[in-house]
Amino acid sequence: MNNPVDVILSLVLLSCLFSFGSSRLPGLIKVLAFQGVVVSIVPLFVDPHMTGGGILFTMVTLTIRGIVIPLCIYLAIKKVAIHREVEPIIGYHASMLAGLGLIVGATFVSHHFHVPASRAGVLLLPTAITVLVSGMFLLMARRNAIAMVLGYIMMENGIYLVGTTFSAHARHIVEFGILLDVLAGVMIMAIILQNIKRTFDDVDTALLRTLKE
Amino acid sequence: MLELVFLVPFFAGIVAFFLPRNLGRPLLVIIGAIHLLLSVLIWVYRPDSMFPEYFGVSPEGLLSLLVISLLFFLISIYTTGYLKASNIKSEHIFTGSMLLFLSTMTLVTLSDHIMVMWIAIEATTLASAPLIYTHRTAASLEATWKYVLICSVGIAMALLGSVLITVSMDVGKVDVPVSFSALTAVAKSLDPMWLKAGFVFILVGYGTKMGLAPMHTWLPDAHSEAPSPASALLSGVLLNCAYLGIFKTNNIMVAAGLGDFSGAILMVFGLISILAAATFILKQTEYKRMLAYSSIENMGIIAFGTGVGGLAAYGAIICLIHHSLIKSSLFLTSGNILLGYGSRLIKGTGNLVNRMPKTFVAFFAGFAGISGFPPFGIFIGELFIIVGTFRAGHYVGVGIFILSLCVIFAGFANQMLKISFDDTDATIQLTESAGMVWPQYTLLLTSLLLCFWVPDTLYQTIIHAVTSTGGGF
Repeated sequence: MNNPVDVILSLVLLSCLFSFGSSRLPGLIKVLAFQGVVVSIVPLFVDPHMTGGGILFTMVTLTIRGIVIPLCIYLAIKKVAIHREVEPIIGYHASMLAGLGLIVGATFVSHHFHVPASRAGVLLLPTAITVLVSGMFLLMARRNAIAMVLGYIMMENGIYLVGTTFSAHARHIVEFGILLDVLAGVMIMAIILQNIKRTFDDVDTALLRTLKE
Repeated sequence: MLELVFLVPFFAGIVAFFLPRNLGRPLLVIIGAIHLLLSVLIWVYRPDSMFPEYFGVSPEGLLSLLVISLLFFLISIYTTGYLKASNIKSEHIFTGSMLLFLSTMTLVTLSDHIMVMWIAIEATTLASAPLIYTHRTAASLEATWKYVLICSVGIAMALLGSVLITVSMDVGKVDVPVSFSALTAVAKSLDPMWLKAGFVFILVGYGTKMGLAPMHTWLPDAHSEAPSPASALLSGVLLNCAYLGIFKTNNIMVAAGLGDFSGAILMVFGLISILAAATFILKQTEYKRMLAYSSIENMGIIAFGTGVGGLAAYGAIICLIHHSLIKSSLFLTSGNILLGYGSRLIKGTGNLVNRMPKTFVAFFAGFAGISGFPPFGIFIGELFIIVGTFRAGHYVGVGIFILSLCVIFAGFANQMLKISFDDTDATIQLTESAGMVWPQYTLLLTSLLLCFWVPDTLYQTIIHAVTSTGGGF
C-alpha cells in the first residue's frame, strides 16, 4: 500500500460498509458527506500534472459533493421533522455481509477487465464498482425515501470515480454541468420529499403504492 | 445564432416564474412562435455553432427540433384555453417550467458532445418534474416522485455508459473530441468491448427515459397525472429526445461494425415494450393511461425498427414523426374529455359523439391514426418496418410484432368505442372553443399531409439521418 490513492480509496470502501450499517438518517448523511469529500479529492492524487484550473474544479466538486448536497438533504429532514429510521427491507447485519461480499465480488470481477494504463492504484476499479452497486443496494433495500435519495447520490459518486480517474477526455466545463445537474436533481428530490412528508405524514415509500396496474 | 434557439426559451422561462398569471399565457404563445421561426431558420440555413465541440446540427436532431417547435407552438395555443377552463393554483410555475422544458429539449436536439447530451436529457427530467406535480394531489406527488427517482437513476446509467465510451477511446488510443460526429468518424479504432458495454448502459439509461419496457414503470403514472398539455409534450417530444441519444450511440456502433450487436438488443427491448403495452392496454380503466401505454408501444416499434435497420429504420423515423404529431393531439383531446366529464375513468365518460362532437372528431381521427389505419403515417411506417423485417429474415420477431399490434388495436378499439358511443348521464362542463380543438386538427392534418406530400428537403433529411445507421431503401 505505497500508493496514496489506495489509502484514500480504502476509506471510500469503508464508507460503503458504514452506510450499510447506519440505522439512522443523520448518521447515513454524515457517511455520505465523508464519502463525497474523499471521492472528490481522488483526482488530486491520480493526476500528476494538475493545473490551477483542475485544482479549483476539484475544490468546487468537493464543496458540492461533500457539503452542499448532504446539507440539502439534512435541512430537508430537519425542516419537516422526518422520522429518523431508514426502515430497512434487508437488515443491517445482512446488509454488512452483503457489502463484504460485494467488495470481494468487485475485486474478482475487475481482474477480468482490460483497464487502460493504470495511473491509479489497484483498488480503483473495485472501489468504483462497489460504490456504484452499494448505491443501488441502498435504493432497493431501504423503504425510507430519503435513504433512497442517498443511494442515488452514492451511485453518482461511483460514476464520478470511474469518470475522473479513467478518462482524460472530460473537460471541466462539461463535468461542472454534470455536477450542476446532480445538484439540481437532489434539490428537486428534497422539495418532493418535503411535499411527501406534508401530504402523507411519513416518507415510507410503502405509502406510495396507489398508482399501479 | 444556433444557441439562440434554446437560450430564448430558457430566459423567458426564468422570467415567467415572476410574471402574473395573465401575462404567462401569452408569453407561452409568443415564445412558441419565436422558437418555431428560429427552428425554421436553422432548418433552412443550417448555421454553425459558436461551440462546435459541444453543439452541432445533425439531420436527426433537425427533424426532432422541427417537431418540437411545431408541437410546442400548437400546444401553447391550446394551453391558453386549457388554463382558462381548469383551475391551476400556481400557474406561473407551470408556464415557467413549460418554457424551461422547451429549452432543455431543444438543447438535446442540438448537442453533439456525449456528456452535453447527458446533461441536457437529465435537465429535461428536472424541468418537467414540476409539470407533473401541477395538480398538487397525492397521486400526482407519487407520480412525480417515481418519475424523478426512476429517471434520475436510469439516466445515471447512461452517464456511466458515456464514461465507458470515453474509456473505449483511451484503450483504443484515440484522441478526438468526445462528440458523436467525431466518434462515428473514428469508430473503427475504438475498443469494441468498452464500446459495447457503453452502448448497453446508454440503452438502459436513455431507454428508461424513452419508456422502453421493463424500465417503463414511471411513464403511465407521469403521463396520466400531468395536465394534458404537459402530457402531450412528454409523450410527443420528450420520448423522442431520449430516443435521439440511443439513435446517435447506435450510429457509432454501426460505424464500428457492431451494428448486429446493438441491433439485436434494440429489437429485443422493442419487442418487450410492444408486448408489455399489449398486456396492459387490454384492461385499462383510465383513458390517459391507455394513451400512455400506446406511447410505450410506439417507442417499442421505433426501437424495433431501428434495430432491424435497412427499410425498417426508415419506417422507424416515419413512425417517430407521426407518433409525435398524432399522440400529442390525442393527449390534448384527452384534456378536453377530462375537463368535459371531470373523470379520468373510461367508465365516467360516454357518448362523446353527441356530447362533444368537435372533440370526438379529433379523438376518433387520432385513434385511427395511432392504430395504423391508412392514410395516416403510422400505417406507412409500420408497413415499412414489417417489410424490412421480413427482408432481414427475422420471422419470429415480425410474428410477435404483428400479433401484438393486433392485440393492441383490439384493446384500444374496445375502450375507444366505449368512450365514443356508450350511454352516459354525465353533464358536460366545457364549451368546445376553437382554440381547444384546432390545435389537434392542425396536428392531425399535418400528419395526413405528410403522407401524401413530403417536401424534398424533409425527405432528404430523413434519408440522410437513416443512411447513417445503415438504413434506407
